[in-house]
Amino acid sequence: MLPFIKEAVEQLFSKPSTEAYPAVDVPAAPGYRGRIVFHADKCISCGMCERVCAGGAISTTSEETEEGTLITRRFFLGSCTFCASCADFCVKNAIELTTDYHMVARDESELVVTGTYLKKKPVKKAAPAVEESACTVKARDDGLPVNDPNRCVYCTLCAKKCPAGAITVDRKEKIWKLDEDKCIGCGTCHEVCPKKCIIM
Amino acid sequence: MFKKLIDNAAAKSPWLFHINAGSCNGCDIELVAVLTPRYDAERLGFKLAGTPRHADIVVVSGPVTVQSKDRVLRTIEQVPDPKVIVTLGSCPRSCNVFKGSYSVAGPLDKYVPIDVSIAGCAPKPEAIIDGLALAAKILKEKREAMK
Amino acid sequence: MEFTDILIYAVYILIFPGALFTCLFGLWLAGVDRKVVARMQKRKGPPISQPAWDFLKLCGKETVIPAHAARGVYLAAPYIGLASLIVTVLFIPLGGLQAFSTGADTVVILYLLTIPTLAMIFGGSASGSPFAGVGASRTMVSIMAYELPFILVILAVGKGMTPDGYYFTFSLEQITNVQSVFGPNIFDWRLLPAAVAMLLVIPCEVGQHPFDVGEAETEICEGPLVEYSGKPLAVFKLSHAIKMFVMTALFCALFLGGITTGMLWLDVVLALCFCTAVTLVSMTLLNAISARWRVEQLFKFFWTVVSGLALASLLLVWFC
Repeated sequence: MLPFIKEAVEQLFSKPSTEAYPAVDVPAAPGYRGRIVFHADKCISCGMCERVCAGGAISTTSEETEEGTLITRRFFLGSCTFCASCADFCVKNAIELTTDYHMVARDESELVVTGTYLKKKPVKKAAPAVEESACTVKARDDGLPVNDPNRCVYCTLCAKKCPAGAITVDRKEKIWKLDEDKCIGCGTCHEVCPKKCIIM
Repeated sequence: MFKKLIDNAAAKSPWLFHINAGSCNGCDIELVAVLTPRYDAERLGFKLAGTPRHADIVVVSGPVTVQSKDRVLRTIEQVPDPKVIVTLGSCPRSCNVFKGSYSVAGPLDKYVPIDVSIAGCAPKPEAIIDGLALAAKILKEKREAMK
Repeated sequence: MEFTDILIYAVYILIFPGALFTCLFGLWLAGVDRKVVARMQKRKGPPISQPAWDFLKLCGKETVIPAHAARGVYLAAPYIGLASLIVTVLFIPLGGLQAFSTGADTVVILYLLTIPTLAMIFGGSASGSPFAGVGASRTMVSIMAYELPFILVILAVGKGMTPDGYYFTFSLEQITNVQSVFGPNIFDWRLLPAAVAMLLVIPCEVGQHPFDVGEAETEICEGPLVEYSGKPLAVFKLSHAIKMFVMTALFCALFLGGITTGMLWLDVVLALCFCTAVTLVSMTLLNAISARWRVEQLFKFFWTVVSGLALASLLLVWFC
C-alpha cells in the first residue's frame, strides 16, 4: 500500500505524460502504413494489386474512348487492411502507403482514393495481330513455358517469381527470354502471370 | 441561454459505449490505449460508460457477425437520443477481409446509418481521438437539431 | 414566525448552505477529485468543470423508461435522494454556521444519509433490470458494512467530548462548541482510530473506488443506475457529487470543528478548504491507487478492521 501512495503523490507533483495531441500534431513512426497514394501515371494495368488485395479494397473500372481505354483504379480505405501487399507486388511502384493516419470520415467518399490514366491504343504495327486472335503461340511439347508477345505487358512478374531465375524480361525492348537449361518447368510463371499469356 | 449551455455540454462530455461485433481485438486494444495516460481521452471529457443507457457515442468494432448482429442493433437502439454511431477500423465499415464469409452479416451500414468512420486496421490512437472529436461535434449538431 | 425569519430560512434552504451552494460545491469537489486522480495516475485529466458539463449534458438527453419499470418510483427515487441530501447539509455546521439544529443532529444525519442510498436501491429495483437487482443487493450489503463503524464513530465522538467523560451528546452544535474550547478532536489521541475509521467510511458511503461494489460499471453495468438515462441519471450523478461534500463536511464537523478566526465568512471558507483536503486524503488517494474490491472483502474489512478501529476509540474514550 505505502509504495503506491508514494508513487501517487510523486506523480501528483510531476509533469503528466499525456501528449497534447489535437493541439500538437504527432507524426507517425517511419514505416507506418497509412493512407494510400496512387501514382496513376506509373500504372501498367497488370492488375496484380487487385488480385493480391486481402480486403478486396481495390477495384478497376474502364471506359473506352477515342484515344484508348480510360482506366480508373479505386482504393476504398474503409475496406483496406493496410497490409501493403499491393505496394509490394506493384512492379512499377505506382502504389505508395504514406504515414498519414488522419483517416476519419463522415462520408464514405472521403475514404476513397482514385487514379485515372489513359491506356493508349497500340499504334499501327501490332494492331492487326491483336485483333486476329487471343493466342498466337502454341504450347511446347517439352512442357516448358511459352510467352504470347501480343498479350504480354512485360510486367516482369514472371521473372521475379521464377524460382530458377530462368526468365529474363526487358521492358524497354519488349523482349521475353527463357533460359531452357535453367527452367525446371514448375509453372510458377504461368500461375502468377496477371495477363495469363504464358502458356504451358 | 440554458438550452445553449446544454448544447455546448453535449460536445464537452461525450460518453462512449464500445461494442465488439466480432472484432479481432486489435481495434479494441487501440481504443483502450486512447484512455491510457499517454493519450488520456478523459481530458477531452470522454469516458467509457458501463451501460448503453448512459452513452452518447456508440463505438462499434468488428465485422458484425451473424451471432452478434441482433445484439449490436438492440444495444444501439437502447442508447438515448442524441446519439452518434462510430465505426472503429475497416471491419464494421465494409467487413474488410471477412467479406463474404458465411458467418458475417455486416457491414454495419446495412442496418443503421454510420455517422463517423475511422479507417485503419487498426487505427492509430491519434486517429481515434480525431474520430471521437468529430463525433462530439456531430453530437452537438444533433442536440441543436432537437426541439 | 417573523417575515425576516422566513426569509432567512428560505435563504438557508435554497441558496446557502442549501440547494444551490451544495450543488455547485459538490460538483466542484467531484471535479477536483477527478482532476487529482488523473494527475496521480500521470494523466492530464479533465477540467475541473467536467462533472458540471456531464450534469448539463445528461439534462439534455432523452429519458428512457423501461417497459417493465414501476414508473412512479423509478422517476421519483433520484429526486427523493437529492432532497434528503440537501436537508442533511442544513444540519451540518460549516465553520460554525449551522442552518438548523436539534438536540440529536448526528442521529438525524445518520438516518437522512441512508435515504439517498435507499432511493438508489428502490429506483434500481423499480427499473426491472437484473443488473439493477444485483446492484441493489450489493448496495444493501455495503450499507450494512459501513453503517456499523459509522455509528461507532459517532458514539465515540459523542462520548469523548469532555475530559471528565461523563458527558454524552448527539448535538453537532455542542460537539463544535466543545472543540472550540479543547481543540479539534483529531488532535485527541483517543479519537485518532475513530478518525481513521471515518476516513474509510467516507468513500464507502459515497460509493467511490475501491468500495463501489454496488455501482461496478465493468461487472454489473453500474448496478442500480443501469437503466437510468437523461435527467434522473443527472440527478443521481449530482447526488453522488453532493454526497462527497456532505460526508467530508460531516468529518470536518466531527473532527476538525471549532477552529475559529473570529470572522464567520472566513470560518466557512476554512471549513470548505478542510472539506477539499479530506476529499483528497480519503477519497482521491484511494481512488487513484486501488482496484475495486469484492463484496465479501468489503464486508469483512469494514466489520473487522474499520469497526475495530472505531470500537477501540470508543473503549479508549470510555475508560481513559
